[in-house]
Amino acid sequence: MIVMIVGAMLIYGTLDMPKWADPNAPAALHVSPRYIEKTLEETATPNVVTSVLADYRGYDTLGETSVIFTAGISCILLLRKKKRENSGGR
Amino acid sequence: MLDFIISKYNYWMYIILMMLGFYGMIAKKNLIKKVIGMNIFQTAIILFFISTAAKRGATIPIVEHGHGEAVHAIHAIEYVNPLPHVLMLTAIVVMVSTLGVALAILIMIYRRYNTLEEDEILQVKGK
Repeated sequence: MIVMIVGAMLIYGTLDMPKWADPNAPAALHVSPRYIEKTLEETATPNVVTSVLADYRGYDTLGETSVIFTAGISCILLLRKKKRENSGGR
Repeated sequence: MLDFIISKYNYWMYIILMMLGFYGMIAKKNLIKKVIGMNIFQTAIILFFISTAAKRGATIPIVEHGHGEAVHAIHAIEYVNPLPHVLMLTAIVVMVSTLGVALAILIMIYRRYNTLEEDEILQVKGK
């Protein structure tokens, strides 16, 4: 019931979304042309996704690795055996 | 009318997928099924963002002749939007992390209560 209501609201929301594969969609007009056009001279990387991930948003990727690290540490802490002989293992 | 449906049906498919995951998270009693519902939900969000990156007549966001000598003008209209791809790469990492921690917590719950059914766990806790 709740699921149906939320789904109907979301479908109503899609009526204002841009058309699929529209080159003039708002998401494609503001910052992404700047990244595509300047990435080769600023980062010397032809792959735009890589240059945005590792150059423009390097600190974001650093935080991302810390997220992975935290998840791994918490998995180890949760699954650690309480007995002495198996401590620390997954 | 047909043009309207063709231009919007991808969003509707993702909403259907998302609501399937939402239903699984709310209505199912088994905790593993709840985790599967959460994953379907996240996958629907990722597909939605990737679909907003598409441009008609554009190619993948890798600059052609990027290592060549000749400097030529790069037109953004020829490449799809790279930013949703980057952001969804981050979202996939977060999704994997949440899945791993959720499965670890489920293993702990199973070790303590010997069941993964939500109502049975609540029954055991109530005694």
